[in-house]
Amino acid sequence: MTMQIKKIFAMFLLLTTVLVSCKKDAHEHNDEEVITTLRVTFAPVGGGNNLVYQYDDADGPGGNQPTKEEIVLQPNKSYNVTLQLLNKTVNPAEDKTDEIRQEGTSHRFYYEPAAGSNITVSGLDNDANGVALGLTSNWVSGAAATGKIKITLRHYGGNPPSKAANDPVNSNKSSTDLEVEFNTKIQ
Amino acid sequence: MLRVILYISVFFVPSSPVMGQECSIRLAGHVEESATGEKLIAATIRIKETGSQVVTDKKGDFVFDGLCPGKYTLVISHIGCESIERKILLDKDLHLDLFLIGIHSDLKEVTVDARRGTRNSGFKKELSERQLEQSRGGTLGDALSKINGVTLLQTGSTISKPVIHGLHSNRILTINNGVRQEGQQWGNEHAPEIDPFIADKLVVIKGVDELRYGSDAIGGVVLVEPKALGTNTTKRTEVNAAFFSNNLQYVLSAVHEQSLRKNPNFRYRIQGTFKKGGNAATPYYRLNNTGSEEKNLSLTAGWKKNNFSTELFYSHFSTRIGIFTGAHIGNLTDLINAIGSDRPADIFLGEKTYQIRRPSQEVAHHLIKSKSILQKKEHRFTLQLAGQLNHRKEFDIVRNPSVTRPQMDLQIFTFSEEIIWEHPKKNNFSGMGGISLSQQVNNYSGRYFIPSYTAFSTGAYYIEKWKKHAWDLQAGVRFDDKRINTTRLKFNSDTISYKFHFTTYAASLFAGYSPDNSWQLYASLAFSSRAPHVNELLSDGIHHGTATYEKGDIGLRPEESLHTTVGIRFNHPEGKFGWDLLGYINRINHFIYQQPQPATPVLTISGAFPLITYRQTDATLRGFDASAWIKPVNNIEWVTRYSFLAARNRTTNDWLIWMPANRLSNEWTWQIPGNGSLTNKYVSLEWLHVMQQNRVPDNSVTKQDYKEPPAAYHLLHFNAGTTIQLFKKPVTIGIGIRNLLNTVYRDYLNSMRYFTDEQGINASIRLKIEL
Repeated sequence: MTMQIKKIFAMFLLLTTVLVSCKKDAHEHNDEEVITTLRVTFAPVGGGNNLVYQYDDADGPGGNQPTKEEIVLQPNKSYNVTLQLLNKTVNPAEDKTDEIRQEGTSHRFYYEPAAGSNITVSGLDNDANGVALGLTSNWVSGAAATGKIKITLRHYGGNPPSKAANDPVNSNKSSTDLEVEFNTKIQ
Repeated sequence: MLRVILYISVFFVPSSPVMGQECSIRLAGHVEESATGEKLIAATIRIKETGSQVVTDKKGDFVFDGLCPGKYTLVISHIGCESIERKILLDKDLHLDLFLIGIHSDLKEVTVDARRGTRNSGFKKELSERQLEQSRGGTLGDALSKINGVTLLQTGSTISKPVIHGLHSNRILTINNGVRQEGQQWGNEHAPEIDPFIADKLVVIKGVDELRYGSDAIGGVVLVEPKALGTNTTKRTEVNAAFFSNNLQYVLSAVHEQSLRKNPNFRYRIQGTFKKGGNAATPYYRLNNTGSEEKNLSLTAGWKKNNFSTELFYSHFSTRIGIFTGAHIGNLTDLINAIGSDRPADIFLGEKTYQIRRPSQEVAHHLIKSKSILQKKEHRFTLQLAGQLNHRKEFDIVRNPSVTRPQMDLQIFTFSEEIIWEHPKKNNFSGMGGISLSQQVNNYSGRYFIPSYTAFSTGAYYIEKWKKHAWDLQAGVRFDDKRINTTRLKFNSDTISYKFHFTTYAASLFAGYSPDNSWQLYASLAFSSRAPHVNELLSDGIHHGTATYEKGDIGLRPEESLHTTVGIRFNHPEGKFGWDLLGYINRINHFIYQQPQPATPVLTISGAFPLITYRQTDATLRGFDASAWIKPVNNIEWVTRYSFLAARNRTTNDWLIWMPANRLSNEWTWQIPGNGSLTNKYVSLEWLHVMQQNRVPDNSVTKQDYKEPPAAYHLLHFNAGTTIQLFKKPVTIGIGIRNLLNTVYRDYLNSMRYFTDEQGINASIRLKIEL
């Protein structure tokens, strides 16, 4: 009888050891969905040095506070604007911009300058279906002013995404991937 | 003192002995131990079909009166004896001599409460066979919610977990076939990983008996008990099938059990379930990506000889569940928008399919258990070893469809060892003591929410019971020691480690008094304490379901609960009516809860998230469960149940959030008399009224909830069933219609209430075939 118990116990211990040793050091990969950085590059139309401003939260949500730069532009000027998205939680940092471009039919950027900011945004690039995507755009500054601009990336989760040209930023067809409000200054 | 005892025991809903104009048959009998010829006092005889039961008197005699003609199955059980089943055909008065095999020559699995079948000791509520049968094909939570005082915490219609008297998750222990279930039960959208078809009995217990399983069962213990392996050499095969109209869900489950021809001491059972459901429909729209799939398998092998028995059990549970696409929330603004609209966007509605896409979850749970029982003289020793692996994967909506990996991936391994000693029953005393150990390893990959950790716990308990004449006294103590070592992996591979050490105690007292057959009074006092779980200590991340940023508190102390229960039951000696009242006060100090911190939102690249931190307060949960039943005329039974709960945060002098609303239900059952090929015919109608939850935290100072609790609602459910003989095999057919009037409603404890209505009308047909 006790032999029986001993045997069962021995078998169990063996099984335990095997299971524990199998799982040890399971590879802990990071969250590849995370975006830490939104980089906005301004190329002045008609020549001049590029301007780069960014929102940066290098350690992802939580942890250290993110940093946000103020967008400073010259008055009465036109800029070709390009967005770049990075994941800095991995080393080297990963560029996520292409991912958005490839999945353009289920993504869309919105640019919402606050009243009095004296910035107008137009000329957004399109996705494969000819609907606005917004990875590139054209910004025109007016007279000197301070204000804000909100850049929002919306993701269409439906299948098919049913993205349409007149969808508002708060459409219930899409959900928010990014939402960054920059302070702006025209001087 | 010797007294004639005739208990008419009622577990929860008293089932009716069938009565009618031709229902006047008397079934009498006598029970004795087969080897010694000893008259068995207090043996239970239960009629499986009707649920009614009696207990033998001091001469070992029993009697049922007023039975209808028909085929019945009797289940005869007694402390320390093998239960037996006897099928009988009743057309006139009958006398039976029944023999049970005593413990000396055979062994049997007994539950903690050895006086099973006699009156309940304290708070113990069990689903009747009919209730269990009516819930076949649904989730484990659905089945448990038929018990008065048990409600559901839900995420849509496919994920549900039980709430006992307002408490859930880490405060409830689920015991799957004797083993404490160790999964990721801390999450509100993490349902118990158990195939409901494994269960032959579903029992909720509180009080002294829960000490066997842990000192942390502040809310109670749910026992999921399979049928004990039989002892005779017959084969047993049962097939269950069900179909549900609302989500086109079908379920197939089969079990086969037999002994080896060459070695009848060896017996095995194999059981499997397959379940697949499509998108669920509310009265006005169908919700995309709300399908589910479940594949389960279990194997049991047992060997018994003389005074030794051993059993090996393996079960594999796996499920895949779609989460409604329209409830995928990017940030707080999205949540406010979604809540603001009456119905989800059309692109998330209307697909009639079984397909499951992101967001979804996949959970696999393996359990292997070995249990050996040795009977030495009057002592009984049990050794139980168990290993569990729980693997939970959560798939979020991702930008790149070529990503197949889950965004959250949690694996938990648990090994547990338990040794139990039961001393001989002597001088009306019975008792048991035990030691239990467990080792745990938790790993995560993907998004951080809880850290990797190892945990070691050691527990010891002792329970003693004394029962004489009208009195039943019980007492128990337990001690637990838990060590948690975490390796807290954050981004950028910064590793911070923490070590925790918690010591918790529990003690419980119970006194019951039954002056005669009809009355039972009882009171219990229980102290229990629960060490904080890793998610409460160290969670740190965005909770997408509620668009909040959850943060644990490393300084939390164990919760301490003082639980007082008083109860009184009455059953009319002739079975005309009865009632049951249970009142409780649960004072929990250092109660762990989630407190919104509106002043310090967490800024992320997707916007600001409200911060919620785990805090401790002192809480008091007061409530009562009342039920009454009456048979106004023959064959008609009316059962009414009411459950009330008021849960206070004593520190802030406010209500606690997420507590179940009060509810009232009325059920009328007509047991259709008559013989012929159809037996055990019934139809029943249930009217459920759930009130609006008005006891919610004050929203005016700090925003605690985004939406007002939904309005009160009324639901009608219909059930009918019968057993027919097909090719000389009994086939049980059941028909159910949930939400008969296709009522539009939302429930306070369903997190999908922010976005969608509840499921509409759902008709089902169930078949049970015994081969």
